[in-house]
Amino acid sequence: MKFNADEIASVIQQEIEQYEDRLDVREVGTVLEVGDGIARCYGLSGVMAGEMVEFPSGVTGMAFNLEENSIGVIILGDYLQINEGDEVKATGKLLSVPVGDAVIGRVLDPLGKPLDGKGPVASTERRPVEVIAAGVAERQPVCEPRQTGIKAVDAMTPIGRGQRELIIGDRKTGKTAIALDAIINQRESGVKCFYVAIGQKDSSVAAVVKVLEDHGAMDYTTVIVSGASSPAPLQYVAPYAGTSMAEYFMWKGEHALVVYDDLSKQAVAYRQLSLLVRRPPGREAFPGDVFYCHSRLLERSSKLSEALGGGSITSLPIIETLEGEVSAYIPTNVISITDGQIYLQPDLFFKGIRPAMNVGISVSRVGGAAQIKAMKKVAGGMRLDLASFRELEAFAQLGTDLDAATQSRLDRGYRMVELLKQPQYKPMHVVDQVLSIYAATRGFLDDVPVTKVREWETAFLQFIHDRKSQLWAAIAEKKDLNDELTKAVNEALAEFKKGHSTASKPAATLAKV
Amino acid sequence: MAPTSQNSTAFDAGRQYLGTVYAKALLGAAEKAGTTDAVLEELDSLVTDVIDKLPNLDAALASPRIGHDEKVRLLDRAFQGRMSKQLLNFLKVVSSHGRLDCLRAINRAARRLYNQMRNRVEVKIRTTEPVDGQLAEEIADRLRTVLRSDVELKMDVDPELIGGMVIRIGDTVYDGSVVDRLRRLRAETIEKMAQEFRQSLARFAIAE
Repeated sequence: MKFNADEIASVIQQEIEQYEDRLDVREVGTVLEVGDGIARCYGLSGVMAGEMVEFPSGVTGMAFNLEENSIGVIILGDYLQINEGDEVKATGKLLSVPVGDAVIGRVLDPLGKPLDGKGPVASTERRPVEVIAAGVAERQPVCEPRQTGIKAVDAMTPIGRGQRELIIGDRKTGKTAIALDAIINQRESGVKCFYVAIGQKDSSVAAVVKVLEDHGAMDYTTVIVSGASSPAPLQYVAPYAGTSMAEYFMWKGEHALVVYDDLSKQAVAYRQLSLLVRRPPGREAFPGDVFYCHSRLLERSSKLSEALGGGSITSLPIIETLEGEVSAYIPTNVISITDGQIYLQPDLFFKGIRPAMNVGISVSRVGGAAQIKAMKKVAGGMRLDLASFRELEAFAQLGTDLDAATQSRLDRGYRMVELLKQPQYKPMHVVDQVLSIYAATRGFLDDVPVTKVREWETAFLQFIHDRKSQLWAAIAEKKDLNDELTKAVNEALAEFKKGHSTASKPAATLAKV
Repeated sequence: MAPTSQNSTAFDAGRQYLGTVYAKALLGAAEKAGTTDAVLEELDSLVTDVIDKLPNLDAALASPRIGHDEKVRLLDRAFQGRMSKQLLNFLKVVSSHGRLDCLRAINRAARRLYNQMRNRVEVKIRTTEPVDGQLAEEIADRLRTVLRSDVELKMDVDPELIGGMVIRIGDTVYDGSVVDRLRRLRAETIEKMAQEFRQSLARFAIAE
């Protein structure tokens, strides 16, 4: 493409003609020392905590520590371009990020600058990064479900719109996978998703973006990246920036889902900053206000009242534990802030039970309010049943003879565990989930061999979609299993079982069907 | 290390705080004796005419390896009779606390405190060319009426401004320089241009 120089010149000329001349009044100080992402400045006597300052190289910073003689500034960018003696300018503004529809589908850094090479973010609106969360009168209790598409999660630790559900576990236990499934499952719900990657390898983030693109999820998702190589201040700010972008949609009455992957790295970045500005260290050398750092962030996830449009932010913070140590400082903090946690265990993961959720200590404090009625009915006692099954299973391994009742409980448990296994990036519709879990909890699976359970499930759901689509649609519409529908499901199950022999050759039976 | 500490912008905030404490004491003593102006002038001259020009003396005074007694003897030999007794005593007191390395900070703090006491504001003015007497007087008059206090002008010449004037009062800078205006015009034009490009790229293309 060739450019027309005259046209460009005319725009520039217009701009010069319209240029408004104002006297530039600014508050300044000087850089005393700089290093490790921190600058100590002298002067700036009127600067306020959290105010943005600007260095001559164009890099911005945030006034973090106001001391008697100097000001500690965290540098949001390349600190190697800043020199001793440089003039620092106070901007009188708070840190803000671009928000709006323009950020959707983009990969951005925590300041809202694009990282995906798709050009500038064409947004006219900005929101401050640090915002006080909505107050009591502006909220309503969590009441709508936010389906993750994962059977184990939706049945046993349901997540509601506006809830904060922690995903916690050791490294390599599938924490990110659960969050990604939840994002992929939002395709039809019109929910805007935000994936905040903090302190991760850039290769992992690239893989996540690839997965989201492959599943068509980037159409409604924004990825905010501050990788392992970005300075600690950016890692510290990233989750707040992501939440601000999500809040824009919440206040417009829409719904958003934010994943913070992961908050332990953010806490480490915050610890680094705090120690560098010489705030006193506390437990595990974290500063005293590390709890506030997370609580004020997660408090911004909320369900607004109907008067304010009823928008919501659901958040899925992720915490990485070391050797399953949930009683470390940061995990206990975040567990106590969130409305429940999904605990992932390495031994379950390696046994092939994926998602490797430990049902005993995973909870959702919102509970049934975040489930559709049908799910509430079928999955009611499931969590406790499964937890007691795990205990029983451990006991049964001693090899003692078991009475028939115990054996049948064990058998059902094995089938339940098998049924709750789910491949990655294959979220299920809630009606499918209800039907599968109904079959398992009502004993329709008891005569199916454990190894064939997943095959049976696939075939059954296929059968329902092909032959009983009206029943499926009725459940989807009612979102409840009344007596009539229960009867219809029972009949459908009986019909399916007649045609589907589980003993041998399931493939041949399928062909007959 | 040594050369950077000569830089006027580079100083230790902790040392500056110490300097304020000593300066307050010095001003208090001088005020009582009614010789404030003279003492301050001597201190300023000591720092700018002696210490800045004799790095060896500076190093000797600041060195912790030379004891207090030795330093007192040195001060007596060098300044006895050429300096008011008050300032000499002050220097000895500072020496006894091992703070002779803070003299620059003390001088700076003393000027600031003195200006505060006399309701005088230090105004730094940067222009492209030296400002002559009459214009400077006009500027000072204008500032006096605006600030409602006495002003102490510090003129500086900086050809990089291209034109106009930059006034700094305390930590606030009033920038009326041509270079700043050009910088802002540039930023705004780039922003506008990018916006126009985003709106319709076709407008700038030559039809093929």
